[in-house]
Amino acid sequence: MGRLYAVEIVYRGIFQKTLAKNLSRAIVLAAHKEGKPGISFGRYGDSPERNGIPAKSFAIVATDDVTLEEGMAKYEPKEVDITIAVDDTLCKGVESWAWYGLQPINRLLKPGGTIIVTSREEPAALIEMMHRKEHPYRLAIVKAIPSFSGLWVYKDDHTDVRILGAIAKVLPELFSITSLQEVIAAEWKDPVKATSALRAYERTETVTVEPSQGNPEKPYEFEFPRWQEMREGVTIPAIPMGRAVLDADTGKTGGYRPARNPTFKKYTTRSMRPVVDFEKCIKCTLCWLQCPDSCFDVMPDGMYDANMEACCGCGVCEAVCPEANCITMVSETQFRDNASQWDMWKKDKDGYARWVKEHIELHPERSHGFRYRGQYEAQVPEMLSIAREGSDAPAASDAPAQP
Amino acid sequence: MAQTVASVETQHPPREETALITGSEAIAVACKLADVDVITAYPIRPYDTVMQYVAKLVANGELDCEYIVAESEHSQFEIVKHASAVGARVFCGSSGVGWMYAFEALTVTPGLRIPMVAMVGNRALDDPGAFGVEHNDALAVRDLGWQLVWVDSAQEALDTALIAYRVAEDRRIFLPCAISCDGAFLTHSQAIVKIPSAEKVKAFLPPYNRGDLLLHPDNPITVAPQVNEDWLMEIRRQTSSAMERSPGVIREAYADFERIFGRRYGNPFFEEYETDDADVVLVGMGTLSNPVRVAIRELRKEGKKVGFVRIRWFRPFAAEELARSLGRFAAVGVIDRDFSFGSPYMSGVLATEVRTALYPAPKRPALVAFIAGLGGREITVPDVRTMTEKVYQAAEGKPQPATQWIGLRE
Amino acid sequence: MATPQNELVSLNAPQKLDPFRGVKKLPLEEYFTSGHRTCQGCESALVMKMMVKAAGPRTIVLGSTGCMYVANTTYYSTSWVVPWMHTQLGSSGSAGLGAAAGLKALMRKGKIKQEPINVIAFCGDGGGADMGLSAISATLTHPDYNVLILMYDNESYANTDIQLSGSTPYGAHTTFSPPGKVRRIMHHRWKKNMAGMLAAGHPTCRYVATVCMSYSVSAMNCVRKALSIGGPTFIHSLDPCPKGWDYDPFQSHELGELAVATGIWPLYEVEDGVLKLMGKTKDIAQGRAKRRPVRDYLLRQGRFAHFTDEDLAYFQSKVDEMWERWLVPGVIPFKKQLDESQPPA
Repeated sequence: MGRLYAVEIVYRGIFQKTLAKNLSRAIVLAAHKEGKPGISFGRYGDSPERNGIPAKSFAIVATDDVTLEEGMAKYEPKEVDITIAVDDTLCKGVESWAWYGLQPINRLLKPGGTIIVTSREEPAALIEMMHRKEHPYRLAIVKAIPSFSGLWVYKDDHTDVRILGAIAKVLPELFSITSLQEVIAAEWKDPVKATSALRAYERTETVTVEPSQGNPEKPYEFEFPRWQEMREGVTIPAIPMGRAVLDADTGKTGGYRPARNPTFKKYTTRSMRPVVDFEKCIKCTLCWLQCPDSCFDVMPDGMYDANMEACCGCGVCEAVCPEANCITMVSETQFRDNASQWDMWKKDKDGYARWVKEHIELHPERSHGFRYRGQYEAQVPEMLSIAREGSDAPAASDAPAQP
Repeated sequence: MAQTVASVETQHPPREETALITGSEAIAVACKLADVDVITAYPIRPYDTVMQYVAKLVANGELDCEYIVAESEHSQFEIVKHASAVGARVFCGSSGVGWMYAFEALTVTPGLRIPMVAMVGNRALDDPGAFGVEHNDALAVRDLGWQLVWVDSAQEALDTALIAYRVAEDRRIFLPCAISCDGAFLTHSQAIVKIPSAEKVKAFLPPYNRGDLLLHPDNPITVAPQVNEDWLMEIRRQTSSAMERSPGVIREAYADFERIFGRRYGNPFFEEYETDDADVVLVGMGTLSNPVRVAIRELRKEGKKVGFVRIRWFRPFAAEELARSLGRFAAVGVIDRDFSFGSPYMSGVLATEVRTALYPAPKRPALVAFIAGLGGREITVPDVRTMTEKVYQAAEGKPQPATQWIGLRE
Repeated sequence: MATPQNELVSLNAPQKLDPFRGVKKLPLEEYFTSGHRTCQGCESALVMKMMVKAAGPRTIVLGSTGCMYVANTTYYSTSWVVPWMHTQLGSSGSAGLGAAAGLKALMRKGKIKQEPINVIAFCGDGGGADMGLSAISATLTHPDYNVLILMYDNESYANTDIQLSGSTPYGAHTTFSPPGKVRRIMHHRWKKNMAGMLAAGHPTCRYVATVCMSYSVSAMNCVRKALSIGGPTFIHSLDPCPKGWDYDPFQSHELGELAVATGIWPLYEVEDGVLKLMGKTKDIAQGRAKRRPVRDYLLRQGRFAHFTDEDLAYFQSKVDEMWERWLVPGVIPFKKQLDESQPPA
């Protein structure tokens, strides 16, 4: 009986599609250099991918063909040796489809398995976001701004090879750093990428996460009905009409809160959320109007509250808001709940003002895709230098490959 | 003594008007009697005479419906599918490749539980273009949840159309029904047909009530959300369940039909002709019943005890009942007016299904599969005699090719 | 009712839907809510929201296959508050017609209560400009039925992971038109002029309009007019698509404005044969605003990142031609001046 290795790559749909594909292919190719057969596939049901919605890719490798069969003809492996989260906000959990519920990022991880996360946060912050697991597992961080691009233009900031280097470190039986470098040379023909991989390999450290650590909340899930319980004619009830909102202070109702799809909340789609400074709001209506996800609740006082159960973090509200610093998109890593900002503001306006200021100032950089031609070329050197932070290796050989 | 065709009058002589009409027109008359709400038309021979008759009925104020000429068969069937979803009783139809052009619409209709009634004027599939009868068009939907019935007279066409509405629109079923009428022989030849009264039709056919599946602002639902592997199997199971209930509902409908209209069809699923004492029987669908019966009467005069089983309902397929009936005989010959290239033993569709029905039966006759009458070629009385001879040989244990093409120049 | 053959055409009265008078007067109710599996920044989802906000609760929507089917009702779930039914990719025209005809028959025969119910059938550019064109065309010739066909155009078959359609702009990168070493431009077809074609080709269709949700109040008012004018109507909406066009989602609103400001996407309505340019398009036509260069719009999108200056110049020339030489800019492409090879008028 041979050994089956499974690696899952959990990523933001479309933004990291090419990155995930590069990773899963390279894993299989590197293992193959050592005589281990493997397959690479995106989770079929995740297609078609949508911008931001969590998706998964898998690389399944085995010591022999017969063992490899165990890993085939499945939509998803039952357990994995390594989970890669290429966006740290995915640590809060993923809800890829209606009825899936909120699935912890470490759900498939074997005892003693490792989750590798690209992030600029410290381990404690990430552990806080991840749901508790019944057995210990390990966490490794590849220090980087999560890499986002789009379908057509790839941001080649070396995130792919750095993660691969980290894999070689945490699971050397899967493939060695030597095999990896051979694959990088063959696939990308770029010695700088090989250096990035080696550097990541050298620097990767893991911490152990105990069952007592992590987010204690029980993630929601759904029970599937039997065929006799399902309505006939492929019909389901429509979403009910929304309702006015009750202002707890005044006891009056006003505004409007749409009813929402109960089986798909979609907030794990976001890597950023809008922080609203209600003091600056002029009630122009544009955020509420132009939100493609109808996520703004209209409050009794006419303010617009982005409902954090529904917001998917696109940033259109910030773009259309006419008032400076009224809406600011802030990285999801800065938040630990889906609390209503309007409620917070109403309870304590001064406290809220401080909270807003803090979050807008802290405001780690999030990159969200293509904005203009030449943008990635401009950004890559910056990202490579972040990657170099704390490294002993010389800077000279780090000029990025010209596009 | 030979029976008369199709029906036996009961004690209550009907006081109905009669008319000399084709099978197509008979179905148009059924639409009028059933007070159909929306009908869509598109020209293709030979079914489209039904739509020409419908147009006349509408123009003369005899049928109050939305009569829409679509720009393709695909649209034709889509229009009535959605009209049915909002609660309208609908009728549609096509032939041959026209029916195939609608195939996407045909595919989705049963799963949505749309009780459409359609007429298929059976016609050979292009290429090459040929207008004569073959059954492949209607048979093509046999896996999808359509109820399929073949008729062999204009009277039966009218009666079955009314029964089709009754069965399809039964809330326990809500599956579409296609009535197959052989092109030319049935669509274009005129026979005396008894036309039931509107009151009797009203007693037989309740209004179409879509209940909680109705698409209307008073019943907000989403119909056919996208699904994947966690849902589709259960949805298919529901459709299968409806089809399982269909035979019971069909039986009820025929029993009521006899009670109200005074016309008796006996076993709804297949009609037996001269089978009580037969040694061998032929099996087939549609108007080939005509030369078969003529040949059987000849053969019986010569002392040969031959019978004929005419399948009406192809879906749902009355497998156990048919196996019981056919188990009485030494050999059966199944006549397919269709083809199924590459099938087991290269048999036609009906033969393949009959063989499957017989497989678990305790008594299995020898079975010879015949392919005949393609492209509208006449199945002659001599052809039937030839087939019967081969079936007798099979009964005697003489080896036969599993499938034989009859009436072919070779 | 201005139809020429009043006695022969019997049309049920449509709903009376007055135009919204500005953002502050919009109804708060949502008939298409959150929880749909669309991309961040999906303008087509915004179209759905605006479309039914404009239509109101007494509405039935038929949705043909595409992003606005699969993403909105993904995986046995829905975001629709009003009744909604799926139809096939090429069936928006026939589905809308069928629903309208069914309701009309049932009301006339007293089988359901009389009431003007909006029927809207939508399609994407794949299902509208390509596959479903014949069904839409047929429906627009039927003066007897009230039905709005709305084509939301994200310029690709987006749901199948972005393939080109008859509505995809010249040269755009899609999975069927990847720029390669030998052929940089795989898609050298020019975008079909759907709205103009349908307006010109169906003289009894009373209303055709082009919209963009970056100008949402105006767009919603076009929907309201299309639903209340009577008979079959058509609206073509251009929706920036962050996935297919490859841009940071927050740019969705701005790209819609740029499409109009560059003159690439003219906004207009044709009501009973009378053409009216709208908003920024009108400003451009009347000289109050200059058209912005197309590169301001194209180079914000990854799908044009492979464009050379030559490609940009060609694209610009086609847009210039549309504005400077078309009989009716953006609407009717017949040229004002005949070439020597052309026959006389």
